Amino acid sequence: MSMLKRTLIAAGALAAFAVPALAAEVKLEGFHANPAFARFHGPIAEAFMKKHPEIEVTYRATSPSYNEAHQQILRSAVTNELPDFYFSGYHLLPELVETLEKRDQIVDLGSFLTEEGEDFVTENYAPRMLALGQIEGKQWGLAFNASSPLMYYNADLVKQAGGDPENMPSDWESVMALAAKINTLGDDITGISYDVGTWPDDWLWQAALYQQGARLFDGEGDVAFGNEAGLKSLELFRTFVTDGGMQILDWNQSRQQFGAGKTGIFFTTPAHLTVITDMVGDKFALRTAPFPLDDKGEMSGVPTGGNAVVMLTKDEAKQKAAWEYIKFATGPEAQKIVVEMTGYLPTNLRTVETDYLGAFYDANPNYRTAIDQIDRSLPWVGYPGGQSVRVWNTQREIIAAVMRGEKTPEEGLEEMVQATSQMMN
Amino acid sequence: MPTALPSARRELFSGLLFSAPAFILLSLIHIVPLLTLIALSFTDYELGALDVRWLGLDNFARAFSDPVFQRALRNTLLYVAIVIPGSVLLGLLIALLVHARKRTRSIYEVIYFLPVTSTLVAMATVWQFLLHPRLGPVNGFLKSLGFPEIAFLSEPSLVIPTLAVIGLWQMVGFNMILFLAGLSTIPRDLYDAAEVDGAGGAVDRFLRITWPMLGPTTMFVTVTTCITAFKVFDTVAVLTHGRGGSEVLLYAIYLEGFHYFKMGYAAALTLVFLAFILVFSILQARRMDRKVHYA
Repeated sequence: MSMLKRTLIAAGALAAFAVPALAAEVKLEGFHANPAFARFHGPIAEAFMKKHPEIEVTYRATSPSYNEAHQQILRSAVTNELPDFYFSGYHLLPELVETLEKRDQIVDLGSFLTEEGEDFVTENYAPRMLALGQIEGKQWGLAFNASSPLMYYNADLVKQAGGDPENMPSDWESVMALAAKINTLGDDITGISYDVGTWPDDWLWQAALYQQGARLFDGEGDVAFGNEAGLKSLELFRTFVTDGGMQILDWNQSRQQFGAGKTGIFFTTPAHLTVITDMVGDKFALRTAPFPLDDKGEMSGVPTGGNAVVMLTKDEAKQKAAWEYIKFATGPEAQKIVVEMTGYLPTNLRTVETDYLGAFYDANPNYRTAIDQIDRSLPWVGYPGGQSVRVWNTQREIIAAVMRGEKTPEEGLEEMVQATSQMMN
Repeated sequence: MPTALPSARRELFSGLLFSAPAFILLSLIHIVPLLTLIALSFTDYELGALDVRWLGLDNFARAFSDPVFQRALRNTLLYVAIVIPGSVLLGLLIALLVHARKRTRSIYEVIYFLPVTSTLVAMATVWQFLLHPRLGPVNGFLKSLGFPEIAFLSEPSLVIPTLAVIGLWQMVGFNMILFLAGLSTIPRDLYDAAEVDGAGGAVDRFLRITWPMLGPTTMFVTVTTCITAFKVFDTVAVLTHGRGGSEVLLYAIYLEGFHYFKMGYAAALTLVFLAFILVFSILQARRMDRKVHYA
């Protein structure tokens, strides 16, 4: 027997042993947007694999934003190389489902939830959180990251202006009155900053409407903000500039300015809480408060940003494993990791239990604010017709022009309604 | 002769064989994608869509009535109009000054070349801070001179000029190196001869020897600067995200293709963009070719 033959036989024998061991292991591949999110996706996958050694979870290289990740998923759909599960931005979920459902490349999670039983569902997921992953009545995704806009404020400046940092106003008129006072504290102090005109998506615009109980479009798919609520929002935006001293800045620049202690009141996502807390350090007393609501009724609330996890694999064994992973990622243990690292609000009801985050929230009240407005969460919606990104890019320029005073709120609103209706159909 | 044919054919065959690798690579890398692009530009293809409709020239008609694309076109032309003369002349001026240094020359070379080697994505934060209307040192300096706060990256009328200045910062160092290379090829005895003939002043020497001898370099620098300037994208993508009406051609294409997923329309815009670069480069090369003196 030659050396080569012997080696081949030995290799064959080894392979025969190795194959069954490999087959027992399921390999899952995931994909998410935003490189910064790898900070929590990595540890979550590790914690999961410790519990389920038979399942191996890896992540593909990330995309810089939700939009680019969406595009990459569509490309992989065409070449049939989709990952097994994926975290899609809420506002892009309708477009994703619309495209992938036709191609039979996305899995309805409803049956998996039913199999787990009603108790499991009610224990873990609030109806408002479940709603974030529903498109036309079907549960395509489960909420993973969620955030609604928060009011951040510089307690030192609020105090200097005669406000009470312990009791921040909860309606816009009083917030504006306070902001105007802060604005007079010094030449380099800005009263308020609400960067709707430079925000990458229409989250803060939806927030301005939702807090009045208004909506973007009605059941028939017509623009619904061409009314008093829309006008009031634009007028409010203009007063941020005229009375509150707000400058139209890139949102990063605006955040730098707040972090430097030069802005009194500032609105952004709780997902930035850890970053801003680090940025502020000991410079001033940083506090957060719920987003002000003019209408305190049933219809009023705040839009929820973030992403939902969807299942894309067709393989049955992989689907089972992916469901285990999805359950884990939206479970209390994984959500604890996310909350501590970012400030996102947990999408799992059990996370606030003392076993998980109870103590953390007691020690860090700024993080608790997001939880306090959790029952105000409304879905962050995309426009029918799948042109949400283009709609916002157009609306944003008009809003910025109104804020700069180049257009009156009335003119701006008319233009927005007209441009939006055109793009919705 | 009957035997000549097979040998001629063999020659033809081996000729084709030798050129095949280059031909295949060229078609795979350039020609096939270009043909695909042209084909796509006549359709309404959206990424992931199962059915595609033939639109004919509709995409092109739409491009020229699309306000965003028109704005992008105007912005790009303004940007190019600032960056080309600016970076060529500044590059030349700095090259002349640096060339005259003896001991410190390499230090200046490194300093001016640094922006070329730095990645803009990393520098974006620095620029955002420098140009911050309230916190930035640029505004701090302007304020000390009595100017009001200026939002360089948000004020619509200032965005493109600001981006052009950043473009200059990126490109001047590269052009300087090219001009330095050009300067070092000019023989010293030309200057000596000129001095004998009475052209002794610095201006005289520049106009009669340096400038004409730099002709080929200047042409090369201008054409490459032109193409780079038309391709401006990264500053817009990382510093303004097209906000405040600061879209440029490539950014408009990127938005259509990669954010709105309208691949067909994006393909049509790309063709328009290619046509622009082609026409500008040919015009410039032709006009200058007549004036350039190749030694």
